[in-house]
Amino acid sequence: MQTQLAYSPEELLSSHTYAEPLIANGVRCHGGFDNNGVYSSPRTLARVPAIAAWQAQLARDGAPLIEIPRALMPPQYPNVAQAKLLLQNGVREPLVRTLTVISIVEGFGAMIRDVKVPELPSLFVEPIDQTALAHLSHGLFEAHARDESGYRDEGGHKQMWEAARDAALENPKIPGDVLMRLMGRRGRSAPPKAAFPEIGEDLERMLGFMANVLIVEVFAEGTFEWAMEVLSDPDISAAPEEARDMVRNIQADEKPHVDYLRTALSEVAARTINTVDGHKISGKVVVDKLLHRVLSQMTRNRPSDQREDLKEGLADAMQAAANPAALQDEFEALESPWTAPEKTGFEFADHEG
Amino acid sequence: MEIGTRISRSLKVGWTASWVWGMYKIPSWVRRLRGIEITNEELSPTHQRAADLILDLALDLRGVMIKLCQAVATRSDIFPKEFIERLKQCHDAVPPKPFSRVRQVVESELGKPLDAVFSSFDPTPLASASLAQVHRAQLLDGREVAVKVQYPDIEGIIRTDLANMRRVCRVYEFFDPQPLPLQPLLVELTRHLAMELDFVREADCADRVRELFSDDPHVKIPEIYREWSTHRILTMELVGGIKITEKSTLQEAGLVPGEVLQNLMHIYVRMILAAGFFHADPHPGNLFVTPRNEIVVLDFGLSKELPEGFGLGLFELMFSLMTFNESAMVRAFTELGFRSKTGDTSTFVAIARRMVSRSDTGAFEGEFTEDMTDELFEAIREDPVAEVPSDFVLVARVFSLLSGIAHSLGSRANILQAMSGGGPNR
Repeated sequence: MQTQLAYSPEELLSSHTYAEPLIANGVRCHGGFDNNGVYSSPRTLARVPAIAAWQAQLARDGAPLIEIPRALMPPQYPNVAQAKLLLQNGVREPLVRTLTVISIVEGFGAMIRDVKVPELPSLFVEPIDQTALAHLSHGLFEAHARDESGYRDEGGHKQMWEAARDAALENPKIPGDVLMRLMGRRGRSAPPKAAFPEIGEDLERMLGFMANVLIVEVFAEGTFEWAMEVLSDPDISAAPEEARDMVRNIQADEKPHVDYLRTALSEVAARTINTVDGHKISGKVVVDKLLHRVLSQMTRNRPSDQREDLKEGLADAMQAAANPAALQDEFEALESPWTAPEKTGFEFADHEG
Repeated sequence: MEIGTRISRSLKVGWTASWVWGMYKIPSWVRRLRGIEITNEELSPTHQRAADLILDLALDLRGVMIKLCQAVATRSDIFPKEFIERLKQCHDAVPPKPFSRVRQVVESELGKPLDAVFSSFDPTPLASASLAQVHRAQLLDGREVAVKVQYPDIEGIIRTDLANMRRVCRVYEFFDPQPLPLQPLLVELTRHLAMELDFVREADCADRVRELFSDDPHVKIPEIYREWSTHRILTMELVGGIKITEKSTLQEAGLVPGEVLQNLMHIYVRMILAAGFFHADPHPGNLFVTPRNEIVVLDFGLSKELPEGFGLGLFELMFSLMTFNESAMVRAFTELGFRSKTGDTSTFVAIARRMVSRSDTGAFEGEFTEDMTDELFEAIREDPVAEVPSDFVLVARVFSLLSGIAHSLGSRANILQAMSGGGPNR
């Protein structure tokens, strides 16, 4: 039997027939349940088999599939024990803020549909038809965008995270500084320089964006586990099962995102890129360097910066507890130190530091 | 203000109001006697003539009338498009007052002769608007400053004009069985004028916005010199720059118009959505760009504090619009305080569908366009939405002005990128 490798956008955006829709906090969300109550992610009727087929093709060609090492994943802050401690002591604001920020950031995933995809076939020496790469702007980016922010009359991950938060913490008041934290920081440093001017701005920007999203999606695994553990604790959650299941559904929806991104980047790594000045460059050199750059940023300074950023707000919020000083001490005692591994696994001899 | 001037202004307002009212009512009565209803299409030339008359009156009387026309031009949810298009042309630029009168105000406010504070004071203003004009000067210590001086008698003129308008509105509402909601517009205008006339408040607002962007290298708010400022004059750091709509001059200075626009959008999104406090008058005369790619924001007279949670509600509305999520948009409309006449949210569904249907054509990709604001108000006017929150109107005006700037620059701003905290290339 011949495996299908070419799909129309409509096919990649098609969903299963659901016996029951997913309703979260009164909002109709994407996806749904079969007759056995098993959750099925949206737009996966053809997308999941398609990705599996493209991955099998890569394997047949002897090209490895990119793996982002989980050891590089920075821990969630505050950690599970710290988050539970805060909630047990009535300090809810930091968790509400964190969950709200997660929901908004998930929603911003819709920006992937705005990524400019250059005319790819001419940029590679080898053909790209019947690959994930060829389907990025023909269904894959759009499906990803719809999953994250919702579409038409269906909510997406943004609304699902909000539902998990509201169910577990009983429709909490949203802190007024949430958006300021998201929009407020704009560094004085210039945007990163092009790592590969020879491949053209559009291609580098697209590959850089994909590398960034892939790593965010892989690292989100830690967030899902953290959220399920915190929100399913009946001592602190008003709806432990509902909240946990909602996060689990989001986690299931994210798997195709990770899979298509690593497939497409692996396809690039297995090819040769035509440079704008008429030369050629190995796709692996480009992909590895971009992944190394993003991983270095995300594992070196960013976790500690984010931690410092959160600490002040946490200390303020703890003032609402009966005994702020004792709570602060207990909170700090639950710290789980983490050091980023020395290597990202994507180093090349000529990479920048 | 002299009694003669007061009577003359009142007569002009009364005469124009009566004339406009007659233009609409007399043909409508005649048609009704013949048993024929007048259609919207047939009213178009009347709208045009009425708008012309009102614009002529505003250019003659200036002051509040200019402000009123500007306010009407932002309410496409209430007024016909002929009014909006015509009154949009009512710019805030008016001929300046003689320097001798300006000097009187400055000396009286500071309690000192001009040369006791300034080593030089240019008698020709840099700009003049409906309530004040701005002069270039130099302080005794050598600092270059811009001095904004309120017109003499402006408070009296405003009182008279507002009283005239209130009278006209009352008469209009008495005679017309289905009057347009003009009183709320006047209330809003009165509130805004009071804000704009208080320069101490304006200085406070400028300081607040400067503090908000203290970490942002792309924003420049001139320093206010409080020692030489009062309720009626404002002395501030003189900052040069290129007018934001002068695309070719920006390019000659090595600036990229698309990046300038994206920075501008980020600034306003951050003020409105995140801080809930914003500069509400981003017309091109108030925005400049320095060669260091800083956006200079001037004139904080019309700055506005939004109610708690309103910014988040607006964020949800804009976000759902940009991501084509109709159900989220309907929730956001309701949470922001939009109300339909029937209490049925299907009106919002229809509006949402009309706006997000643009995605089917691929017309926008996370971009903000002038059409989008127009589309919203057009949809609201055609559907039975009874109540649009007044805070929303001011915000919509801001985005409409920003869209106009985008149009002048020939660029589009990616609002999702702006909302996510990103400027260009982030």
